[in-house]
Amino acid sequence: MQRRKFLSFGAVAVAAMMPSSLSATDYRKTKPDTWTSHTVDDSIKKLYGTGKLIEEGVTLKTPDVAANGGAIPVDITSSIAAKSVALFQDANPESTVAVWTVPENGIIDYSLKIKMKASGTMTVVVEGLDGKLYVANKTLQVALGGCEG
Amino acid sequence: MKLKAKAKNGIVKAKVMMKHDMITYDQAKKKGVKPNFITHVTASVDGKIVYEVSTSQFLSKNPILKYKFRGEKGKKITMTWKDLLGNTKSSTKKIK
Repeated sequence: MQRRKFLSFGAVAVAAMMPSSLSATDYRKTKPDTWTSHTVDDSIKKLYGTGKLIEEGVTLKTPDVAANGGAIPVDITSSIAAKSVALFQDANPESTVAVWTVPENGIIDYSLKIKMKASGTMTVVVEGLDGKLYVANKTLQVALGGCEG
Repeated sequence: MKLKAKAKNGIVKAKVMMKHDMITYDQAKKKGVKPNFITHVTASVDGKIVYEVSTSQFLSKNPILKYKFRGEKGKKITMTWKDLLGNTKSSTKKIK
């Protein structure tokens, strides 16, 4: 009995150590399919293996009308204890824009500028440590497309 | 690469501007050049990763990233990016 207890404790310890080794994950290598998917739903399914989303706890801030589609500012904030954060949009040929790995005890407060070819919807998915997917959407107008070059 | 990091009350605000053309597949076809964009960016303090992102071609030209993490003044932050052709660039700055 004691040996069994000891063994199960070992398994738990190994599982607990997993998150720290998750740092330095290149999602382009581990999930190559995500980057070539053409719809947001598809990308989420390929990245996380499920399409079940909960709409709460995530804030996605973008302008309602973007003057320049070549550089649309995006702010993502959330207080959820998370493993990863992913940003998608449905205007460009491929949907996935970026996937962050949240380090242990990390703060989700990311800003960046992205390109969008036309008006569309942005989706941000936060993968919580509890394994659930939290999501926020934002539809915006793009006055001038950014992918034509 | 321009990198700035400032600490306040145990939280570091960092801002980085990476000089890169970020040529998408569409643009590359039109211009007859190779597509090339930043695919992976990491930031570390004392060898511990504090920020990490895998990116696609849809980041803007010369992308600017802003983020926050828990850290202290005086330590050194190192940021590294890697692009599709395998080029890497890294830069180190002290947290102010």
